[in-house]
Amino acid sequence: MSEAASTLIALETPAASAPRGLFSWVATVDHKRIGILYLLTTLVFFVLGGIEALLMRIQLARPNNTFLSPDAFDQMFTMHGTTMIFLVVMPVLIGLANYLVPLMIGARDMAFPRLNALSFWLLPCGGFLLHFSLLAGGAPAVGWFSYAPLSETSYATTSGVDYWTLALLILGVGSVAASINLIATILTLRAPGLTIRRLPLFVWMIFINSFLVILALPALNAAIVMLFIDRHLGTHFFAPANGGSAVLWQHFFWAFGHPEVYIMALPAFGIISEVIPVFARRPIFGYEFVAASTVAIALLSFGVWAHHMFAVGLGHPMDLFFAATSMMIAVPTGIKVFAWSATMWGGAIRLTTAMLFAVAFLIQFTIGGLSGITFAVVPIDWQVTGTYYLVAHFHYVLFGGTFFAVFAGLYYWFPKITGRMLSERLGKLNFWTALIGFNTAFFVQHFLGLMGMARRTYTYPNLPGWGLLNMISTIGAFLLGVSVLVLLWNIIASLRHGKPAGDNPWQAWTLEWATTSPPPVQNFDRVPPIRSRRPLWDLAHSENPDPIVGGAASQDGFILEKNRVGIVSFLITEGVFFLMLILAYLYYNNHAMNGPTPTSMLDPRRTGIYTLCLLASSLTIWLAERKLRAGKSSAFRWLLALTILLGTVFIFGQSREYLRIFHSGVMVNSNLFATTFFTLTGFHGLHVFVGLIALLILMWLAFAGDFKLGRIEAVKSIGLYWHFVDAVWLVVFSVIYLRLLI
Amino acid sequence: MNTQQFLISAWNWNPWVIAVCVANILIYSARNRFRFNRKTGWLLAGTIMFFLTLASPIDTLADGYLFSAHMLQHLLLLLIIPPLILLSLPTAPLPGRFQNSRWRWLDWIVRHPVAGWFLGVGGMWLWHAPTLCNAAISNVWVHRLQYVSLLLMGFAFWWPVIGPWTKQRLSPLAGIIYLFSACIGCTVLGIIVTFASVEVCSIYLHPMDRLGILPLIQDQWGLTPAKDQQLGGLLMWVPACLIYFCGIFGLFARWHGEMGDEVVVPETPTTKTLIEKPRGH
Repeated sequence: MSEAASTLIALETPAASAPRGLFSWVATVDHKRIGILYLLTTLVFFVLGGIEALLMRIQLARPNNTFLSPDAFDQMFTMHGTTMIFLVVMPVLIGLANYLVPLMIGARDMAFPRLNALSFWLLPCGGFLLHFSLLAGGAPAVGWFSYAPLSETSYATTSGVDYWTLALLILGVGSVAASINLIATILTLRAPGLTIRRLPLFVWMIFINSFLVILALPALNAAIVMLFIDRHLGTHFFAPANGGSAVLWQHFFWAFGHPEVYIMALPAFGIISEVIPVFARRPIFGYEFVAASTVAIALLSFGVWAHHMFAVGLGHPMDLFFAATSMMIAVPTGIKVFAWSATMWGGAIRLTTAMLFAVAFLIQFTIGGLSGITFAVVPIDWQVTGTYYLVAHFHYVLFGGTFFAVFAGLYYWFPKITGRMLSERLGKLNFWTALIGFNTAFFVQHFLGLMGMARRTYTYPNLPGWGLLNMISTIGAFLLGVSVLVLLWNIIASLRHGKPAGDNPWQAWTLEWATTSPPPVQNFDRVPPIRSRRPLWDLAHSENPDPIVGGAASQDGFILEKNRVGIVSFLITEGVFFLMLILAYLYYNNHAMNGPTPTSMLDPRRTGIYTLCLLASSLTIWLAERKLRAGKSSAFRWLLALTILLGTVFIFGQSREYLRIFHSGVMVNSNLFATTFFTLTGFHGLHVFVGLIALLILMWLAFAGDFKLGRIEAVKSIGLYWHFVDAVWLVVFSVIYLRLLI
Repeated sequence: MNTQQFLISAWNWNPWVIAVCVANILIYSARNRFRFNRKTGWLLAGTIMFFLTLASPIDTLADGYLFSAHMLQHLLLLLIIPPLILLSLPTAPLPGRFQNSRWRWLDWIVRHPVAGWFLGVGGMWLWHAPTLCNAAISNVWVHRLQYVSLLLMGFAFWWPVIGPWTKQRLSPLAGIIYLFSACIGCTVLGIIVTFASVEVCSIYLHPMDRLGILPLIQDQWGLTPAKDQQLGGLLMWVPACLIYFCGIFGLFARWHGEMGDEVVVPETPTTKTLIEKPRGH
């Protein structure tokens, strides 16, 4: 070991020792503690969501049962879906990533530790808000997809949907913030030698997944904002009775919703890609293909959403194209399944609990994937989309797939997180009850669906066989509940007197196993040299190391500046948000309507002048940055002041335009032009306003002498944000005003 | 007229198109001294695509009958033919004349791919402004300008990704972002065209039936103007993005395939030696 230790690369000076006490957990910015907080919080919500599921299964155990009222059943399936997706699957994967990514890339912490704490604390806030609806007149009862117009005030009369929208907005912001953080961490904090092509597959998939999150979540956020405006300002984005479009809600929702499926699957693929090689004692088969197929899945996932809407009646051309892309996405997924199977082929497999869960994942995910392909065939989709066949399908993907992978990851990394092994004896019990319970609960639902049993319905008629199959399903669900209890018992018992783990109990090969279990506050004092994808194998087998994974340093080994990465990722996600608002404006303003119109309300020339002011402010802030870099701080301050002035003039112009429109008696709910106009320009104005506040803070910092030491990242970041706001306005101006001039 | 008769009769033997195709193949072959390899295959594919775009029934249909056929032409000219031709060119790091100061600015522009991106994505948007779209069909010179400009913009767009001078190419990750953002640009336009309640090219709404094939198109093929526009939007949305995705996977393969500059290849362990027996479990 001593000769191996001499080859280790020392990192910078370590941080202070760990603080103690309960408050230190609340105030922590340590990624490991935040990761543990994520895992514990999701465990609580997992139990809650599970109880909701069991209540539904009791109701469905017998035909014409009266255990739950129809309304209570609607609330249960809405809460179950929302809880499991937004409060369990997404945060548990983000939590694991939070704990593991810095360890796996040899970093001290995440790129933005405080932002990390914020992302976590938004999770309990959102979860609390969602569940508070139960005390405030009833939980939402419109499904996790909240289809309009059912979710509009005329049909969803309680405040349940309002809590749903607010909770999801908060959770969405948290997820986006966490993903920006992960992107910045992976791009900027990798240990020396850890090039992009040497990344562990879990990290690679988290990296790709984070892009999915920042691109997909804003679509949901925009749709939710519009729904909220509909419900509270009396507008009609999605209310067909007043010219809105319920189908647009579905487009927006599924433009988020289908990438979301992969947001919940890709990190699980990452876990499996770590667990299977370690317990098959072979490196992953076809690393490049697994990595590239991840990119393929991510890209294709944005082009398949309309297959959730075949039953809407989008027309033959739409159905045709989306059927094709939906089938296409099976190819990269198949490549992955093949690579995992080929890794196990001829390996010396150790059937630990983690490996058992991984193998079960492989089989169940394949079943779920195959039943998924059947939905790409449009006529089959029409037949079964409203039935339990679909329920069976997505539970095979999400429970049989993602959750089994999470369990595998838990058994695999628990020793690293706590320093103690989970009991293998209880683990095997946990596994077999989960396997039998899950398949009993959900396999029969395929048959029920094909027989025509409708989902989202509180009961069913006493048809031959239905009662029996449903009873089997309910028994399976309860067995699954028992399995979760075993897992909880295993965690508690092992925390108390589990076998001490040691640094590397599984003889694994990635960096997180190079440090102690649990890792110290600073994670590492030194990291081993990294020349391949399995640094710990190379360290232990210096006589037979892995072939070096090369790559030009400029292409693979680059380290970017973290503030730059952070702000650019943030602007990307903002861009998608505005894109949705702009599309909504175009969608509703392409045909004549009653009431105010752009031509009668807007004055392109006057707004054009204010637009020039805003564009000029982009120029001044660019000049200001150059002056600052040249060390001319007084010129910098003047130019900054000029920027603020120009921005204020623009806001003033917008306010005058608003007042003029208000005076002519037009409000946001007058018609769809007014609604889309005020929403789009209002959100832009809000961004300008936030930008002005940021500029004022910069100004204050400049007078306090903060930038004299040459640390101008803040100026650069705010500058980029300001350019972005201007660029968005340029598009908005063309879409709304310039069209009137042509 | 039935479909078969139409497909046989609707070829447009434009001498200019044939001349360009023949000249293209002859010059290329002559420069290669009539030796053939994979790059010749790319050239042939590109030339055949060019011929099909401008001489096959696609062109006849695009000429005032079907918006979707026009869109197909558009995609071929902008996204298929230029990369095929670029792939057929011999690669070199960078010719010397671009390293001297007089031509530096050109090199600089190419290396900062903003111009290429805006030409590639902007070309798509520009020619679908309703005025220009209609003008291109009613005026033959605007029509020719459209063809040439689309080809040129296609070359400008693909140059930073697969251009022959490797020093001017984007790094793989930057290239992936370049292509993905272009995909978003054309997806947005595709979505707008697919769902727009007004017509993009009003000429296609009431085609002048010069050849008497309107009954064939609308009754037998079922392509009413509304469906036709939807199909056109979808072509721009889905297959166009798939072409960009192919580019992305090509970059990925090139990236993972190359050995890089810090490679020392030790003797490769066989699969057997990599399998480790479990220790004491």
